[in-house]
Amino acid sequence: MTKANNVMGSVALSPEMKIYELIDAAPILLSLFSRLNIHLPFGDISIDEMCRRDGYNTKLFIMLCAMHIDAHYRPAQEEMTEDMLPEVIAYLRASHRYYAERMLPHTARHLEEVLSHCDELSERVLRRFYEDYAHYIKSHFEEEEREIFTLMERGGERDANFSLFDMPHADIDDRSNDIASLIVKSLPESAPTALRCDMLHDVYELRDDLRRHSNIETYLLRPLVEMYLKRR
Amino acid sequence: MKRISIAIVEPSPIILEGVAAIVSHNPNLRVAGAVATVAELQTLLRNTEVDLLIAAVCLAREIESVAELQSLPIVGMQSAIVEASILRRFAAVATLYTPEEELHRMVIEAADMPAEHNYAESHELSDRERDVLVLVARGLTNKEIASELNISPHTVISHRKNIVHKTGIRSVAGLTVYAVLNKFIDSERL
Repeated sequence: MTKANNVMGSVALSPEMKIYELIDAAPILLSLFSRLNIHLPFGDISIDEMCRRDGYNTKLFIMLCAMHIDAHYRPAQEEMTEDMLPEVIAYLRASHRYYAERMLPHTARHLEEVLSHCDELSERVLRRFYEDYAHYIKSHFEEEEREIFTLMERGGERDANFSLFDMPHADIDDRSNDIASLIVKSLPESAPTALRCDMLHDVYELRDDLRRHSNIETYLLRPLVEMYLKRR
Repeated sequence: MKRISIAIVEPSPIILEGVAAIVSHNPNLRVAGAVATVAELQTLLRNTEVDLLIAAVCLAREIESVAELQSLPIVGMQSAIVEASILRRFAAVATLYTPEEELHRMVIEAADMPAEHNYAESHELSDRERDVLVLVARGLTNKEIASELNISPHTVISHRKNIVHKTGIRSVAGLTVYAVLNKFIDSERL
């Protein structure tokens, strides 16, 4: 692979690509490695070698990478196979944990630093708004795990109702944007810009990550579940 | 519903063809003409009746200089990062990734708007919008707000759209925080 086609936006992913090339081209994928608990260092191994070493489906791993790199990428249905379903569910569960245990608390810590410079009223309403937001996200994850993941793991004795989740996904996206707008536009001037920027960086990263997560559920999990239910 | 007659002006042939195809998928919309330059657009408008224009954002300055285009609502097609003031003339702005139904909705809503409705006008809330925001924050429904302010529910919806556009905040919880932080309301009154 030449450096020229190694630029974000035109990454050519292949099983032979070296892991260090992959990360160099798209550092955003580091959080994917962290979520999947893939062990470093990688040395000189390729995507395919790493997947074989750690027991992942290479094709699925490449799909997940592509969906992380390009928000508009949609995996082709004919490339999907039913055996990917348990792995996708395992990934999504790990991703839920990553949000609940890492990203949301991390953002909350930065928010607290910002709030420590605000008046009591701003502190109170913003903290409450963030707590409600984090709670909403976590409850939504729990519902998805209960209504879809566990159902599929038990053999799918009834149809999974995906439309239940269209509205919460849009709501989460709206609330993520709302937090960013409030911090940018309305936070009292007493909050130092550097802390405000750290917080905004977290919020945008969380928002974009949640969008990717929602895309994976809509364009990968959903067709896989439908494929499974059709065959049943 | 009368079909909305649309002219498209876009220098990129790929985008031009794409937008024309997407517009024609909706039975309520009709492509009256698709051209690459503002000069060609002027010729088209001399012979064809058009309700709305879809135009490449990069042509905004040129469009502003043509008097006969000032009365038309315009939806912008944005394919690169532009300076925000450029967007002032557009009723709505679509991008290369705007989904088909969203583009249809934008066009239908824009065709209903008066031409002076600007996409990036002042972000200051008007007094009326502020009144509506406070009542939204206090948890009133559109119907209750309409009755409280003695206006129609349709006008309340229109104010709410403007509030969302100007504040960048969509959720009721977020609007409530906005109202408190900007001291439009004190938290005891919530």
